Amino acid sequence: MKSITEPARETKVVREADIVVVGGGPGGIGAAVSAARNGADTVLIERYGYLGGMGTGGLVTIIPLLTDYTGKQQIIGLTQEWIDRLIAHNAVDYPKKEHWGSMDKEIVRYYFQRSFFMTRLDRVSYAAIIDAEISKFILNEMVEEAGVKTYCHAWGTEPIMEGNHCKGVIIESKSGRQAILGKVIIDSTGDGDLLPYAGIEFEDNIPPNFRIANLALVFWVDGVDLHKVNEFRQKNPKEFMELSRKAMEGGGQGNFFASNLPDQDAVVWFHNRYSNKSQVDVEELTRVEFTGRKVAVKTLEFFKKNMPGFEKSFLVLTAPQLGTRASRRMIGEYQLTQKDLADNQPFEDTIAIFPDLDRGQESLDHPNMYIPYRSLLPKNIDNMFVACRAFSSDEHVQEWFNLIPHCIAFGEAAGTASAMALRAGVGIKNVDMKALQKQLANQGVPLPDVSKKVDYKYTGPALSTPPFGQH
Amino acid sequence: MVNKPSTRTVTEPAREIEVLREADVVVVGGGPGGIGSAIAAARSGARTILIERYGHLGGMATGGLVNIIPNLSDISGKQHVFGLNQELLDRLDRRGGASYPDKKDWGTTDRKVVDYYLDANLGWFYVRQDHNIDQQRVLYSAVVDPEILKDEFNDMVHEAGVDLLLHSWGTRPIMDRDTAKGVFFESKSGRQAILGKVIIDATGDGDIFVAAGAEFDNECDNSRRTAWLAFIWWMANVDLKKYDEFKASQPDKYKELMQELGKLGGYPMFFKGVLKNQEGVVWYHCMQRQPERSDAMDVVELTRIDIRARKRALITYEFMKKFVPGFEKCFIMQTAPQLGTQGGRRIIGEYTVTEKDLETDEIFIDTIAILANNDYHEISAKHPTLCIPYRCLVPRRMDGLLVAGRAFSSADTINESFNIIPHCIAYGQAAGTAAAIAVKEGIQPRHVDYKALRQNLVKQGVNLPDIK
Repeated sequence: MKSITEPARETKVVREADIVVVGGGPGGIGAAVSAARNGADTVLIERYGYLGGMGTGGLVTIIPLLTDYTGKQQIIGLTQEWIDRLIAHNAVDYPKKEHWGSMDKEIVRYYFQRSFFMTRLDRVSYAAIIDAEISKFILNEMVEEAGVKTYCHAWGTEPIMEGNHCKGVIIESKSGRQAILGKVIIDSTGDGDLLPYAGIEFEDNIPPNFRIANLALVFWVDGVDLHKVNEFRQKNPKEFMELSRKAMEGGGQGNFFASNLPDQDAVVWFHNRYSNKSQVDVEELTRVEFTGRKVAVKTLEFFKKNMPGFEKSFLVLTAPQLGTRASRRMIGEYQLTQKDLADNQPFEDTIAIFPDLDRGQESLDHPNMYIPYRSLLPKNIDNMFVACRAFSSDEHVQEWFNLIPHCIAFGEAAGTASAMALRAGVGIKNVDMKALQKQLANQGVPLPDVSKKVDYKYTGPALSTPPFGQH
Repeated sequence: MVNKPSTRTVTEPAREIEVLREADVVVVGGGPGGIGSAIAAARSGARTILIERYGHLGGMATGGLVNIIPNLSDISGKQHVFGLNQELLDRLDRRGGASYPDKKDWGTTDRKVVDYYLDANLGWFYVRQDHNIDQQRVLYSAVVDPEILKDEFNDMVHEAGVDLLLHSWGTRPIMDRDTAKGVFFESKSGRQAILGKVIIDATGDGDIFVAAGAEFDNECDNSRRTAWLAFIWWMANVDLKKYDEFKASQPDKYKELMQELGKLGGYPMFFKGVLKNQEGVVWYHCMQRQPERSDAMDVVELTRIDIRARKRALITYEFMKKFVPGFEKCFIMQTAPQLGTQGGRRIIGEYTVTEKDLETDEIFIDTIAILANNDYHEISAKHPTLCIPYRCLVPRRMDGLLVAGRAFSSADTINESFNIIPHCIAYGQAAGTAAAIAVKEGIQPRHVDYKALRQNLVKQGVNLPDIK
């Protein structure tokens, strides 16, 4: 490897805060809002001009998997607050509360047709389809109201280390290179960008047949006469399938989802997968951008020409951020692994419960995943959290539990704990766990009674549909 | 809660940075200036690398939703800007990605035709006042589809053989005394370096120059467009027919509503029919005028403006939806992922273009572009074109560096009218060509032979004046 010496330099400190959160995606928002609401002087650094990460700039406008198979909502807290604020702007779509967990065939079919995300395990599942643009506004409001000092258009690039302590981070922006110092640093970059620099152990192996082994370049098409499309589809299902197949043969995408949001009657959403070697390799990212963009244009041209209802369609937008699914995973104080996917007992330091819905019968036998506080803590650093999909997990746990609501929950726990530790004058690893859990519960986070052993066995009917994304 | 600004510094120790590539020409920034530079350099035979901060090329033209390539002709309809600009439009045309007035209509004063283009929306871009005859005339200006443009730019740089790195933020030059040898950049791969013989700063804001410690001018009269940022968003599902009918039948009510919206902090002005294939879409180019000159280079200011502008967009959207006929079912289709930066730092070059050059119709011996001058009011009538010298792309002191884009060496007056997309493409085409010549000859860019550069540009289809 050829290298060049970058000389030593003095870098200006622009701010000194209690808590510095790097990355304004779901994890970072959870962390920053919680930290600030709990009284800490908090800085949030975001690379783009808006907050929300995959939920907004990635056009992955889905907050799914909020109820367990019984219909009990297990993820509430800041995730629900985001959705509530969208409701106030009429900018969200989700199944009615009385239908969550329903096995009524008609109701399940209705939601299945409405959105792929609204049913799981023969049942209705609470998933929210969100408006990306209104969300950007709402997230700004949430951080502003909480008193977070936000830096948009600023890329938090590396930690400033002193032994096993992280003093702050370096940022790059139109103001040049600057530093922000903090007492607790939270890596919510999604990819654990700070890990290599901080000397934190991580792994990044992903089997190629996993969902998370793929990048996406999501795009939206508007001007679609969906009524006409659906009529054609119903009358000529074979032809419809044939066209979809041809679109893919020609290098395009074949499947789309309707937007479902109020007034977006003519908008469809093309989600997609591009396998890749690494999501933190700039050359791979460039390659997938090229491919994805080509595919988007080809898809549009094919549909416009061949699919009834698409005659006047146009490409609204390709996502400004690639749909990243996973990369580095910290090996932290506790690493969640495959064996935890079969264990129904909560951890003593549980800070979140995630419904397990995507694994068929295995999910029914293990309806909830408990997340320990330790899975957010690096082993060798005393004042850093990883609150994003880079949390400490093996590839199996990562595959199912690294989505938007999960990352918000990681952030919520890390942000709250940071503020409480600072207030108590203790390190984040010595935070009073009972007090933290009590505070999270006060913030609307459902938590288990960790003093009791869980006695659970699935006794419901056998599954009629295959699980999602089997590998 | 009080956040504490700090006056301290931290010491970053010296470190070894991996060199990812070595090239002849390194272009930083994939907006119009950078694309022009990279394509021209690569076509001229230089091994060229282009690095871009976002996942797409095009800068303001795509990610900024400023999808306009205006002022290709002067007010009489005579086309002056050709070269890569025209090539790009020809390519977009083949894919249905560009709209512009028919060639036969350029320069026309025919009222019917002028009204047609005014009514064809975005009239402001297609029509200008000719002060010589006190009549409106049609110009050659194009509106382009940003999504098709992103793909077309990818194709063009790829075909030219440019090595492109997206999602890569070029931050600082690697300097050897006063000579640039490469750049550091940040990406998901961490901090890496690219070495090159000529570095072209196409960041729009002269980011690389500033980090190199070069002199620059950031003064700008606060009344100028270039002193403000813009926040652009598109709304879809608008029933424009219904809106037009309402506006025509109840002008007072309409006026009252728009005043009310203004009072609430919303933005009443929008353009209709941005692109011919996008029915029911309207375009808000919301100027974020500040009480005082704001610095588009200050990250705190950028954040403040972005947050405030998004709020204004929401106020506008909700008000229009609730009160204005035709907007009942509208939604915000997208806000531009990039803030609309309109002017920033300008480097101090070997030559600084000022108003005087416009008024004297100066033809420089190193002219690398003729630009149509349509936005300078009465002065435009007398002086329909402006020549741009190569020297305004060459820094006064630093070697191994050129600028391509709106940071060219110019007075704020000139910068206001000659820093938009077609201009930046033209500056890029010249800078890229000059860089390739410098590499081939083994000389500094400032020593490139003007005649050779000009001949080369003419070969590429660039329109240049005869020099006696």
